[in-house]
Amino acid sequence: MATQVFKIPKSLKENMKYSFCPGCDHGVAVRLVAEVLDELDIQDRSVLIASIGCSVTAYDFLDVDSVEAPHGRALAVGTGVKRAKPNQVVFSYQGDGDFASIGLAESLHAALRGEKLTAICINNTTYGMTGGQLGPTTLLGQKTTTSTMGRNVEYYGYPIKIAEHVALCDGTAYAARVSLDTVANIRKAKQAIKKAFEVQLNGLGFGFVEILATCPTNWRMTPEQAHERVRKEMMKHYVPGVYKDITETK
Amino acid sequence: MITEDITNKKVLSKGNYAIAKASILAGCDCYFGYPITPQSEIGEYMSGKMQELGRAYVSAESELAAISMTLGACSTGVKAMTSSSSCAVALMQETLSYATADELPLVLISVMRGGPGLGNIYPSQGDYFQATKGGGNGDYKLIVLAPSNVQECVDLTYKAFHLAHKYRNPTVLLADGLLGQMMEPVEFKPYPYAEIDNSDWALTGAKNRKSRVIRSYAPLADNQCKFVEKLFEKYKTIEENETEWEEMGTEDADIILVSFGSTSRNVKTAMKLCREKGLKVGFFRPITLFPFPNKRLNELASKVKKFITVEVNMGQMINDVKLAVNGKASVELIHKAVGAPPSPEEIQSQVEELI
Repeated sequence: MATQVFKIPKSLKENMKYSFCPGCDHGVAVRLVAEVLDELDIQDRSVLIASIGCSVTAYDFLDVDSVEAPHGRALAVGTGVKRAKPNQVVFSYQGDGDFASIGLAESLHAALRGEKLTAICINNTTYGMTGGQLGPTTLLGQKTTTSTMGRNVEYYGYPIKIAEHVALCDGTAYAARVSLDTVANIRKAKQAIKKAFEVQLNGLGFGFVEILATCPTNWRMTPEQAHERVRKEMMKHYVPGVYKDITETK
Repeated sequence: MITEDITNKKVLSKGNYAIAKASILAGCDCYFGYPITPQSEIGEYMSGKMQELGRAYVSAESELAAISMTLGACSTGVKAMTSSSSCAVALMQETLSYATADELPLVLISVMRGGPGLGNIYPSQGDYFQATKGGGNGDYKLIVLAPSNVQECVDLTYKAFHLAHKYRNPTVLLADGLLGQMMEPVEFKPYPYAEIDNSDWALTGAKNRKSRVIRSYAPLADNQCKFVEKLFEKYKTIEENETEWEEMGTEDADIILVSFGSTSRNVKTAMKLCREKGLKVGFFRPITLFPFPNKRLNELASKVKKFITVEVNMGQMINDVKLAVNGKASVELIHKAVGAPPSPEEIQSQVEELI
């Protein structure tokens, strides 16, 4: 008898039209979120806060109630939803520009207040939707359409290590950085996302996962080359790991 | 239902406290704010009262965050509000545009102070344009209510919640530093409006129903055209049903003084002083600034020679009066840039000069 071993998560919309570029890790990340919503059985009480950038289309895929936030304001909007309806599971799906540049104040203050929210942040070291400009996470030396000679400190300053900053906030219950470059790392990523939801469900505080992701289109690379770059360049500066976990027993 | 603040007799209250108490009585579930003079008493009152009642209060990190939190709360269908003033309301314009596109029942209390820039904390009506024309992007309208005394601060706060939910459109109570800081006798009656069912759109989790998306992003041009046209159909309905104004002595008037908010009080007295001198002067006060009483002003324009708007700004509402009058009568301005409104005597003597 045939056994079904793989299926579309029920938290993904039926008949969705895939709109990310070929080789982009957004698709994997969104799927992992859907799988976690299924496993925790929280799809029917979750609210997604969509942000501005490629990440906004998460509401075209995830089959949950969703509200769109102005650029950078995702975790302020999330705070409003959660404070109004404390029994809802509220999570944001954001890019690094939304979370750590225009929205850094909202992001860190939500963590400092210990809002019972989950934030998923895609770090692809560029502004993807607008065509690959320099963002807060663009690595030193990286060439983008607004750093054509490569990021240098004199002109552009330093890139931000997001997970480490979030981990410093007293209201943060869980902060991790993961990558999607191998099957093993995808599995770890899913566990981190799950944990970031669980700390919310248990009322422990702010849950955060930074996901290192590819942007082959704007990096001018093939998907294979892009994942190679994640390993060789990004993971050296943005080291994967759990930066804070208040549930860990010492 | 909170009953402790309902009074069957008049009590003395500062405008800002009156607005805050009225919000509580209107059933405001969530308040988000950031301090700014001259409206800080609203947040101060709400911080204690909301916690006492087990409702939501967040001291936001900025006005950007405060109004975005309000947007988030509104998306769940609850009654939510924020309050601010002038240069900080400027920071909220982007989210007001989003909330309008999202058709959310957001309530903003805007207590005007002097501008531009940091300006000062004196009263002003310099944000008439900010409230009625908006600083956010795209074609949209906010419902704007302008109280002229502390009692109206209460009554129109009730109305702001009602209209915001009835039409699912952000609604502004446009007060000023004078109203916010002054004390007057006021009566707190129970919230007079019926609760509005929002179960067909509010985000409450997709349990036993399809998931809902509250969004403004419309990648296709045709969809956006249809949406904005639908939005303006709604504004037409609002104009037909909700336009509100006060008029006095307009039946036989040669000249009509037009003024809104706190300034209109001295204008009303000035009109009486003019009448004592035998001048046929009338008084007209828009209570809703959007919808603006265009139709009525246009009717009156057929009968009078002149309108004079009196404003504490460099002349903002005068533009709307001119559009309403549409060339049928001349429209003049009496004004000062910032501060307490001109006295009735000053207004009266300037009216005489303009005749």
